[in-house]
Amino acid sequence: MSKRTTRSLMMVAALASASVTSANAQDPRVLPRLDAPSRAAIAAVVDSAKAQGIPVEPLYDKVNEGVVKGADGPHIVVAVRNLALDLATAHRALGALATADEIKAAASAMHAGVPAVELGKLKKQSGLRRSLTLPFTVLADIVSRGVPVSTAANAIRSLVGAGAKDKDINDFQRNVKVDIEQGAPPAAAAETRAKGTAKPENLDQIDQ
Amino acid sequence: MESSDAELVTRVLHGDVNAYGALVSRYRDRYVRYAVHMLGNREDAEEALQDAFTRAYRSLSRCDEPERFGAWLFRILVNRCRTSGARRVRRSQTFVHDEGALLNASEEHPAEQTMWREEIERAVGELNQDQREAFLLKYVEEVGYDEMSEITGVGVSALKMRVMRACDRLRELLKEVHSA
Amino acid sequence: MPEWGRTTLEMIVQDLQRPVRLDESFERRVMVRVRRYYAQRRRRSRGWLAVGASITHHPAWTAAVAAGIVAVATLGVLSVHPRTASGGVIEPTTFVLVAPTARSVAVVGDFNNWGLDDSALVATSNQGVWSVTASVPVGVHRYAFVVNGVNGKQWMADPTAPRSSGDDFGMPSSALVVEDSTK
Repeated sequence: MSKRTTRSLMMVAALASASVTSANAQDPRVLPRLDAPSRAAIAAVVDSAKAQGIPVEPLYDKVNEGVVKGADGPHIVVAVRNLALDLATAHRALGALATADEIKAAASAMHAGVPAVELGKLKKQSGLRRSLTLPFTVLADIVSRGVPVSTAANAIRSLVGAGAKDKDINDFQRNVKVDIEQGAPPAAAAETRAKGTAKPENLDQIDQ
Repeated sequence: MESSDAELVTRVLHGDVNAYGALVSRYRDRYVRYAVHMLGNREDAEEALQDAFTRAYRSLSRCDEPERFGAWLFRILVNRCRTSGARRVRRSQTFVHDEGALLNASEEHPAEQTMWREEIERAVGELNQDQREAFLLKYVEEVGYDEMSEITGVGVSALKMRVMRACDRLRELLKEVHSA
Repeated sequence: MPEWGRTTLEMIVQDLQRPVRLDESFERRVMVRVRRYYAQRRRRSRGWLAVGASITHHPAWTAAVAAGIVAVATLGVLSVHPRTASGGVIEPTTFVLVAPTARSVAVVGDFNNWGLDDSALVATSNQGVWSVTASVPVGVHRYAFVVNGVNGKQWMADPTAPRSSGDDFGMPSSALVVEDSTK
């Protein structure tokens, strides 16, 4: 078993065994319609996340989503634990300067299969100049549509490096989606549309 | 629903001083690590972080991007650590959080592990302030060089040189320990 | 002793990245300082108002102060952007779904507790084009359409929006990034 896998399993164990505190009393949010063991397990995950400086709002949102979609308590607990793991990994990958929304979006991209190290590289490239919430969201989307991770990451990196605005990145996502629906190979669609979106005068800035 | 940084900053600026407590709670554990390693002991680190939070509150109206309050606070903390007094290393302190211990659990004997950690802390303490700051920002807090330049006001080339020298010095110091 | 086969730098960084936790009293100590500063500032501003009150017998000064206060208040009203009760920026956002055979369509997501406690956004139909506009806080959100049709209730992702990753409990969701239009 790799060190990374061991570390991840230990983190899951740590999150699972973190002591139950009076999180419900301290926090006005109430975990609705869940059985007591599931509520306790989620409260422990939330406590642990707070201690690590990870945004906890997405964890509560995941609970609500699961309840409304009719999932049982244990399934919701697993989903919340996995999300907390992804948020923690995203938090470490993006560093101290990332916003809560960037961390949420990065966790989503990781769940789609984008390695944390790629997201960290994007964050270091863009720094404080722009938010990466939308680029990470689009990255997750195009990977889920079959664009290979490296191709998708390169496309997003070139767009961000060329100074593309959020509107341009939204247009890029829509165009790639339509191209794939019309039968284009996902990688080709992403590569072609990324070149088309990057402005010619900014090509020198594209990160090779 | 948990409030965002921007929401909390807005509330504070509108006179809700208690909303600042939520920002303190959100960032205190995230940034204390940098201060501990930079200043060498927990007391000084806590004092520097308290001071950074207080200064941030007093100049909150000058925070241009409230949604990036955390980054802005970090800059204040880095500057505060730079101007702080002499570094004192205390051997008796442990900084390990339970989950941190689990994350970094190794198969080494716990006593050896503690000794190794103390040696790392001592070695980091031997670096000059500029090298220590650059090393911690680059490798421990994983800040990119452009951001480091914005935070510290130092050029990227100079920062890269400091990081390189810090790495070389740390390897030398820890090799000396190993061969002793 | 550590294996010297591994990169020394990696080991050092891994050790230095261990989380450090402060106890709860830290927050109290910071807030004591903050509240002291806040109280000092309020006393100073009251002192200014007291000075203002003492010169009310000078009509020119009174008019100037009153005009200044009115100007600031007006600017405040004009510059206010819609906000949540807690002060966060919200943006009007329109959700659209083409579902000609649907009997009803609702939107649920992170921004309305996924429809719990009757908070679902109910869309209206224009010849099968369903839409609803709602105030959504700036940020990133997951959401979905709940479509009531001939086959009963069905969850649908927004076909025009990016897909949302993450455990969706077997029912698709979409991602929404709401930007602050004041910037």
